[in-house]
Amino acid sequence: MAADFPAQEDDLPSVTAATQARSVVVEIGNLPIRLRCGSPDFIRQIHERYAGYVSSSDKAKFEFEIELAPHGTLSGDEDARVTWDSGRWLMERGDFRAEWNPSTDKGHIHQTRSPYSLDSVLRIVHTLLLARDGGFLLHASSAIRNGRAFLFSGVSGAGKTTMVRLAPPDAALLTDEISYVVRQDGRYSAVGTPFFGELARVGENLRAPIEVLYLLAKGPENKIEPIDGADAVRGLLGNILFFARDPEFVKMVFDAALDFAARVPVRRLTFVPNSFVWELIV
Amino acid sequence: MSGLVVEMAAKALKLNIPLSVQLDLTYRCNERCIHCYLDHDDHGEMTTAEIKHLLDQMADAGVFYLTISGGEIMMRRDFFDILEHARARLFCVKLKTNGVLIREKEARRLRELGVESIQISIYSHRAEVHDAITKLPGSLRQSIEAVRLLRSQGLLVRLANVLMVQNATDYRGVQALAAELDAKFTIDPTITPMMDGDRSILSLNVDQAALQNVFRDQALVGNVEEFCAPPPGVDEDALDMLPCSAGHTACYVSPYGDVYPCVQFPLPSGNVRRTKFVDIWRDSPQLKEVRSITLRDMPSCSQCTHGATCTRCPGLAYLEGNMRGPSSQDCEKSYARTGIPSENYKARHSSPESFSSPKLVQIQGLQPAEHALAAHVVSGGASA
Amino acid sequence: MKNHQYVTRSTAIAARALGDETMVMSATNSTLFTLDEVASVIWAAADGVTPLEEIVVNKICAQYDIAPGTALQDAQTLVEQLAGHGILLLSDQPLVPSSVSRKEAR
Repeated sequence: MAADFPAQEDDLPSVTAATQARSVVVEIGNLPIRLRCGSPDFIRQIHERYAGYVSSSDKAKFEFEIELAPHGTLSGDEDARVTWDSGRWLMERGDFRAEWNPSTDKGHIHQTRSPYSLDSVLRIVHTLLLARDGGFLLHASSAIRNGRAFLFSGVSGAGKTTMVRLAPPDAALLTDEISYVVRQDGRYSAVGTPFFGELARVGENLRAPIEVLYLLAKGPENKIEPIDGADAVRGLLGNILFFARDPEFVKMVFDAALDFAARVPVRRLTFVPNSFVWELIV
Repeated sequence: MSGLVVEMAAKALKLNIPLSVQLDLTYRCNERCIHCYLDHDDHGEMTTAEIKHLLDQMADAGVFYLTISGGEIMMRRDFFDILEHARARLFCVKLKTNGVLIREKEARRLRELGVESIQISIYSHRAEVHDAITKLPGSLRQSIEAVRLLRSQGLLVRLANVLMVQNATDYRGVQALAAELDAKFTIDPTITPMMDGDRSILSLNVDQAALQNVFRDQALVGNVEEFCAPPPGVDEDALDMLPCSAGHTACYVSPYGDVYPCVQFPLPSGNVRRTKFVDIWRDSPQLKEVRSITLRDMPSCSQCTHGATCTRCPGLAYLEGNMRGPSSQDCEKSYARTGIPSENYKARHSSPESFSSPKLVQIQGLQPAEHALAAHVVSGGASA
Repeated sequence: MKNHQYVTRSTAIAARALGDETMVMSATNSTLFTLDEVASVIWAAADGVTPLEEIVVNKICAQYDIAPGTALQDAQTLVEQLAGHGILLLSDQPLVPSSVSRKEAR
């Protein structure tokens, strides 16, 4: 079993310690996950890919042991299968097999060395973790301006990336593809993630309360319209990242969508793809 | 490239036709080259019937250039059966093989079938070096014999030399060998990471000094001054450039039917055992995404002075973690060629702390300019 | 009586339609040719048993509104050119398809 990475609060780890590390803590949305792996090369890969989200703190509530498959067949365009079985969540796709036990907060991942496999596993794990507290992942881009977060949701091509591309320079980008929505004390915040789409840029590791969720539509003029309760929930449900077919989990997601729509304004944003649209927003 | 070839490629691009396909028949091999990026176990190769059906579909879709490779293609018992079918469908067929299984009979049959060319990997003119790389004793002798047999049949043969630490000083010997055998010679200074993402074999890459030597070798690159000239930079037109033909007029099919933009760009884009080839080519969301990427869509590379002239392979960028990001191996080559480092090159070669864990950024007030800078420094290997 | 002329596609080639043109590559020396729309029609019809005049009259004159005399003369020049490059075979007897060593799918 690998030795623990020495805890270092303020100093950056030394070169030798970093090169021999067999674990790393990745923290997204205040969920620190320790990833342990026998391969220091892979740990280094994680450091690079999730730069900005690697915690120098030793503390991690959740732990995953990663075993690298000697060689894997890559998944096709398959979706992952996520099921609940005897107290564990099981996640499977062509390129990974993972399980997580929510009562011990420990899990195991068997995957290829591809960085994309780990991305997918982490997103599924986060979906399951956030759901416990009423949070979720959303197909949406998000940015922070004046200390508040704005989310832009829609399917591929709806304009998520465009909206953040058009943002003024004082807006901080959280993500152009997958927004993390966390719930704390009855309030919803958006946090940055290292997962990017076409923008090909890692989001800033920031957090801010969500001011509005916009459902995107393209049109001849910029305008914002309110959306009533049922339509808002429907729009939200259509964009929540959803993996598991477990009935209890489905209910959790549904309840989360209802609660979110009751507390956070959901509006339709029709926009012309130029930067004037941001003047409407804030 | 001749004007006509360029013209046809441009037409194929306009009509969205997959003009070139590489089909790997198997990943099994009688050699175990130390730099190989493949998993050699058979996980359920396509059958003869499946392959013939695929060839029919490809011909109907307009595929003209068919490169047949692997693994070692002649390990398939149905190899000549497949080849006959390919030639009956009038593909222009290029083969890649180590030649170890080629005797008189095979060479003759290859000529009869009108194969356009055969590429054979030769890693050194010295058996002790070549055989240590292929891990097959006697393989250099057998490969050279194959070249002789193929040339005596009048077939076009190309010796392909992958450059790595173990054979870095032997490429001139291989070039001379090619001349002696009346074959063409091509050198490849890139080690490809394993298809499943394992990057450990990149340690076989030759270093900067060796790369610089290769790029200043007139016998390899021609006009050295031109080849190594500083880049002109990126202008408005350059931003609309496409990276390469992968996904545009070319793609790859694995022995298991998986379609990728290229063998070196293993983005799973569909499987011909589930979906028709032409439907994958036209409608695959992954291929469509690849097609949408121009230089403009690459945050690092569009800002880089090498942007318009770099050899950047989008597949290598994908394997590195971001198909819109830099290909660090090509940053190495651009530097070796011109002496001008890209930002990514500088970031990777700066102090060790550049990749170790930076602190979390706590948001207090808004200081936009500092945030932008912090984001740039913090993202290290990923593009800012 | 005039001799019929028969034309047969060589099998020592690679070929593929690309839009309304056809790419043909000689297997002996890798030279690449493209045939324009009209030439492509003749190429596709060159089965070794249909006389060239028939091909020209039935497939070219009608579709392209060219006078038979001109069309035939142009076709003659074309097939001689292609034969010179070894990608088309000319004969004054029909060539039985089985004399060709492989089945032609297209």
